Amino acid sequence: MAGLTNYIIRRILFMIPVFLAVSILTFIITNAAGDPIALIRLSLRSAPPQVIEELKIYYHLDQPLYMRYLYWLNDIIHFNLGITIAGTPVYNIMAPWVLPTLELQIPSLILAVVIGVPLGIYSAIHQYSKRDITVTTFALFGYSMPTFWLGLMMIIIFSLYLGWLPSAGAAGITRYWWGSEFADRIAHLIMPLLVLTYVDLATFVRLMRGNMLQTLREDYILAARASGLKESTVIYKHALRNAITPIVTIVGLSFGASLGGAPGLETTFSWPGLGYLFVQAVFSLDIPLIVGITVVITLMLLVANLITDIIYGMIDPRIRLS
Amino acid sequence: MDDNKSQNEKISQEKTQRREASQWAVAWRRFRRNKAGIAGLFIVLFFFFIGITSPWLAPYPARSYQSLYEGEAGKAPSLKHPFGTSNTGLDVFSEVLHGALGDLYVGVGATIISVILGLIIGAIAGYSRGGLGEFLLMLSQLFYTIPILPIILIAARVFLILVAQGFGLTLIMLLLGIFGWSGIAFIARGEILRVRELDYIQASRALGASKTRIIFRHIIPNILTPVIVTATLLIAGNILTEVVISFLGFGDVNTSTWGLTIQEGYAYIRTQWWTAVFPGLATVFAVLGFNLLGDGLSDALNPRLRD
Repeated sequence: MAGLTNYIIRRILFMIPVFLAVSILTFIITNAAGDPIALIRLSLRSAPPQVIEELKIYYHLDQPLYMRYLYWLNDIIHFNLGITIAGTPVYNIMAPWVLPTLELQIPSLILAVVIGVPLGIYSAIHQYSKRDITVTTFALFGYSMPTFWLGLMMIIIFSLYLGWLPSAGAAGITRYWWGSEFADRIAHLIMPLLVLTYVDLATFVRLMRGNMLQTLREDYILAARASGLKESTVIYKHALRNAITPIVTIVGLSFGASLGGAPGLETTFSWPGLGYLFVQAVFSLDIPLIVGITVVITLMLLVANLITDIIYGMIDPRIRLS
Repeated sequence: MDDNKSQNEKISQEKTQRREASQWAVAWRRFRRNKAGIAGLFIVLFFFFIGITSPWLAPYPARSYQSLYEGEAGKAPSLKHPFGTSNTGLDVFSEVLHGALGDLYVGVGATIISVILGLIIGAIAGYSRGGLGEFLLMLSQLFYTIPILPIILIAARVFLILVAQGFGLTLIMLLLGIFGWSGIAFIARGEILRVRELDYIQASRALGASKTRIIFRHIIPNILTPVIVTATLLIAGNILTEVVISFLGFGDVNTSTWGLTIQEGYAYIRTQWWTAVFPGLATVFAVLGFNLLGDGLSDALNPRLRD
């Protein structure tokens, strides 16, 4: 068990440089946009000069960039994300947008694994058959498609022409779809969830199929077959365990990828999530908000990676001992 | 008797030909049999053809709102405008053709940058056993983990304001290239670590082969195949990312790209579906082509699958 603890500690320590790197990168890039005061003045047109001076001191604009970063880091450690250029705390702006993102990301990830992995196994067992080709083609289109575009196509068909499903938002504003409040949320969730699941699923099908095919070529599988075991025992007892282990790491990476892709999908569906908020923040160059969202997205991603790393370490003894 | 002899000669000739077949000829023979890979190759060549000839092929020049002055803005697909026109007066068919050039420029260009960066960083990480190697490995892991799209979106927004529009698509290409090298670096490092301990490398070292000879004759050919495969798939990924960037409105507004056309038609999607459908289909097929080609190459070049 000591090996596993060590391993987890190493993974947690790795999170620190990633977090610092992302925050430094976003901090440098956003500050290259110029004087934040000029942007604040857009929303505070007739600000008296002393207010501007006070703002400058508040944002530490009289100090060099690295000092500003250190001030910001100090705030972050005290769970203070700063204040947006419109004058509201970043935390207050961001908080309501966090849950909808997870409401979309987590179920789609679970669905993608639950559907994608068996499809991949099925495809590998029936390699080069018609069924295999159908499944691989289905997956191939999934990872060749921009998520937002698939979303647009579904909106055009199911919302604009058929009128079956709502095209935007996470909940009805003037009326509920399908009667109740709960059904209404489901109705709003269906399309974005399907799109995200399909795109995520493609990765799992592809990898699972590849892993399974490679494992089935191993000598120990040949030995198992030669010893007269039933084919189903060979596949599900001997091959599956080895083939499925690397998939666990992909779950974390896939979560990161679709979280990073959230701006596109959430904008298409006007889904009130962090990705949508992020796009608006970048457009208005609201530096504190941009940095805040990027940091929160990075933290989510790191936690997801940590969880998968731990699970992987528990399943595969080679990892925790190395 | 004579017949038999000539046949024997033929067989032995074939045999020598086979023996002399280079690594690449073998790969090509394997690739030719892969229908999906060949289809991918043709799709990719088709898009390159369209992209390069688009200035002559397209009925309207790039980013031209001419249809607006002809009173044909926002029209459904017809003979004159096979893919319809946007509400702003763009001929969608022309924009799809011109967009092929823009998107291939970004997709291929960014991949070349990533491959060069990845090979250099991966090679150094694989060769140096000290702290530098550790540091570069961690740097690669870092770039592999961070959410790249959000950072690229911020950079595109900020730098397009700063450096101004003249730089346009090249900026997007540079950003994608600079952030996309980690996969290549992992492969380069892994292959170097694997190959340099192999017996035949040790043998050629013992025979007195120079370092450059070992690198160019033995290590590079080994790295090349997985890098080619990854690069092909990376082009597909870069095109997808570029389309998302343009769709969200962070791309270059002066050069035709598929994402930009979708973005321009987005507000009128309720009635004008064609501005979203056709550029999107072009994206799907181009990306599909690169993915098929990459998968086909992977099968053809993978010695473990060789029969």
